[in-house]
Amino acid sequence: MAGRRISHLYLPGAIVGGIILVALAAPLWHLADPVKMEVPARLALPSLAHPLGQDEYGRDVLSRIIWGARASLAVSFLSALFAGVIGTVLGLTGGYFRGFVELLTVRSMEAIVCFPPILLALLVVTLMGPGAATLVLALTILYAPGYARVAFAATLTTRGLDFVTAQEALGAKPLRVLTLTILPNIAPPLLVQFSLTVAAAMVLESGLSFLGLGVVPPAPSWGLMIRGARSTMEQAPWLLLWPCAALTGTILAFNLLCDRLRDALDPRAGATAGGWLARAGALRLPDATPVATPALLAADGLTIEIETTLGRIRPVRDLSLSLKPGETLALVGESGSGKTLTGLALIGLLPPTMTIAGGRIQFVDRAGRSHDLARTAEGDMRALRGNEIAMVFQDPASCLNPVHRVGDQVAEGILAHRDLSRGEAATQAVGLLTEVGLPDAAQRARAYPHELSGGQRQRAMIASAVANGPRLLIADEPTTALDVTIQAQILDLLAALKQKSEMGLIFITHNLAVVSEIADRVCVMYAGEIVEEGPVAEVFAAPRHPYTAALIASAPDGVDAALMAIPGTVPPPHLLPEGCTFAPRCARVSEQCRSAKPPAAQVSATRMSRCHKWKEVA
Amino acid sequence: MLAYALGRIAVALGLIWAVATLVFLIIHLVPGDPAELLLSQGGVAPDPSAVAELRDKLGLNLPITTQYLSYFGGLLHGDLGASLLDDHSIADEIALRLPRTLELIFAATLLAVLIGLPLGTLAALRPGSVLDRVLAAAAGLGLSVPVFVVGTIAILVFAQKLRWVPAGGYVPFWRDPLQHFILLLMPAATIAVGLGAVVFRMTRSSVLEVLTRDYVRAAHAKGVAPRRIVLHHVVRNALIPVITVLALHAGSLLGGTVLVEFVFNWPGLSGYLVRAVEQRDYPEVVGIVLVISVAFVIINLAVDLVYAVIDPRVRHG
Repeated sequence: MAGRRISHLYLPGAIVGGIILVALAAPLWHLADPVKMEVPARLALPSLAHPLGQDEYGRDVLSRIIWGARASLAVSFLSALFAGVIGTVLGLTGGYFRGFVELLTVRSMEAIVCFPPILLALLVVTLMGPGAATLVLALTILYAPGYARVAFAATLTTRGLDFVTAQEALGAKPLRVLTLTILPNIAPPLLVQFSLTVAAAMVLESGLSFLGLGVVPPAPSWGLMIRGARSTMEQAPWLLLWPCAALTGTILAFNLLCDRLRDALDPRAGATAGGWLARAGALRLPDATPVATPALLAADGLTIEIETTLGRIRPVRDLSLSLKPGETLALVGESGSGKTLTGLALIGLLPPTMTIAGGRIQFVDRAGRSHDLARTAEGDMRALRGNEIAMVFQDPASCLNPVHRVGDQVAEGILAHRDLSRGEAATQAVGLLTEVGLPDAAQRARAYPHELSGGQRQRAMIASAVANGPRLLIADEPTTALDVTIQAQILDLLAALKQKSEMGLIFITHNLAVVSEIADRVCVMYAGEIVEEGPVAEVFAAPRHPYTAALIASAPDGVDAALMAIPGTVPPPHLLPEGCTFAPRCARVSEQCRSAKPPAAQVSATRMSRCHKWKEVA
Repeated sequence: MLAYALGRIAVALGLIWAVATLVFLIIHLVPGDPAELLLSQGGVAPDPSAVAELRDKLGLNLPITTQYLSYFGGLLHGDLGASLLDDHSIADEIALRLPRTLELIFAATLLAVLIGLPLGTLAALRPGSVLDRVLAAAAGLGLSVPVFVVGTIAILVFAQKLRWVPAGGYVPFWRDPLQHFILLLMPAATIAVGLGAVVFRMTRSSVLEVLTRDYVRAAHAKGVAPRRIVLHHVVRNALIPVITVLALHAGSLLGGTVLVEFVFNWPGLSGYLVRAVEQRDYPEVVGIVLVISVAFVIINLAVDLVYAVIDPRVRHG
């Protein structure tokens, strides 16, 4: 990936290099004298001797373009260089010594940034008179603070790193640490700053010259050429074209180089995030044969697929589960087991890179109609979302929009599905907030999310989720971000809500204590599969899968203090073992486990285990 | 909200004092005799009697504290001194021209936001699409063309060749409102090219960022229509960094008008400034620079206050 980014530098790099080379070699081209006037031939069209024609004084335009490039580049590079040296020294020392030195070197520079750049340059020109030297001075003053800031920030980050501290501990002198250790490490951002500055200086130089306050005529400069061509624009518009094209082209090349340089140096850049809205049109699965309508929800053979650089991987495979109205099903597993993805698939909110690659999800709505959620179009899915199926997420702080009032965010969900006035929806929102136990709900509804506590925010999220009386509520680790006493309150709230409305609840968690408190049945997930399923009490009393047994043994339940960690880690979805996914970590592993996938074994009428040896596990 | 606003205003006043002091000090920081510097032309030493006269006129013979106090006393009364050449009141001239410059900036910003914001949002909603790539390339070009090149080419095409609009000039609003706006259009659009590209880029990356936030997913989970999610949840949050960038660009924008006013003969502050610099009329330059810098500080203050309106966390923090 880094190689691709570096290769992106070649094109703008070559153009910039070419421009610099042509300008540097100006004396070698046997060009006409750029300042020699030939008034009879003024505004002459291109000829063999003058390939780009002659200007308003009969001077050779090509020669003036190339010599003008020298002027522009010299002023920009010199000022970028001087500003770079001064700014870097100030930023480095300020960042290294901090305190008073920082005030003197970095903070004092901030005053310069208070001025609009061109004004400061004009102030210098007023005092010094126009000319190339004045330009370099003005631009140096102007751009030094930029470097100082970049160097300062980079030094602050670098000096805290271990290898710098180690050098200091070994007694290295500050100058040595600064020049040999810190400077090379902060070079990349300074390099970006340099090319940025050259481009900016070129814009400013040409602008000042255009105003007649920069390079002094008759010396050639692109800005001056545009100024001159302006007066003869009517008779000779082409004269305007050459310097405009040269100037714009050069700045474009420098800007392009800058952008690419930044991408190449910044590892975070270029990663295009899809965002939650860019939900790719869900994969059109072939129609499935109709099956018996479930009571509420039945997923069968659900498989989720993601296209990655490592190839196509399947973080959830052949997952089946079912739910009755008023029932609570817990999905338990370590992080990376696919439990959250399963929840998102059920509500049709998989990240845009993922698709449902197989299986079906039968869901029955209030009117008794059956939907296959794996094959429901986005528009119909949206009508179900927040209405028949709702979801509560892990971190209430980030799930509430910071710029809208809490009550409005609850009312929004109501308005999305019901034909009510804003006032009616607001009243209902207050009612809901009261129902979820928010004290003084009418007033809290007008509060912004940051004014609520964590527990209050999660109550508001739950109010928003149950606003339309959903048939199915998916709660994804709703208590993980909260402290223990609040956790218990939220669990009680969910239980109470469920009791009232016969709503089915899928509770996603890694916390077994929570499972035994809230759930009727439990699905234990491991590496994208359900490895064991059954009534909570039975499964916890007598697990039929070694993974479940290990999980229970490792759970701190307060009575049995002997904490047992499961050796190893969950295999990543692209490196799954051939046989049983748990085999590499299993104490009971045998040859069969390594070679053959265990089928879903029916342990009893209500229990399932994916273990070859479920009979031995007890 | 009130406490927040008062705090920001206090900071702005402090900044204005610092800027005014800095402007006062610049002439004293230059090595050598400023009067001599101002009068020298192409390295020729000026007439000593002229230097003495200028020193007297600029008050450079008085003790520096006296100079500073009388300078500040003048500022408090709205007195910016008089031109070296014709003794014309600088404050009067600025009062006449500043509104025209501000009008130009306002129109340009409005155009830039009207173009950049919707296009940036659109591009971010379909990252990597043809539309996105075309717009990104256009923005790259828009950022690279110097403002005076845009203006000059615009005059060549729209005024000279197509003859749709006059090449430049200014008519007061009360004399002919329609003509006033026609003349405003070209310079404002010229500034809006570069600024619109900045707004576009910032909006695009900001919207992309906001789209990955949990609250967008949560709104999605409520079944809210995508249109409403974008307008209600995404754009408002994405606006905050866009406004920051606009504020950061206010400086170069105020500067950018120097060139645009010159190109289009817009009789704003900048034409006055360029003439003052050409004639090396130091009191005039100082007066104009001071006023523009104060305008810059005030714009930043306004932006801080706009933040507080958009983001409730700011006014409570």
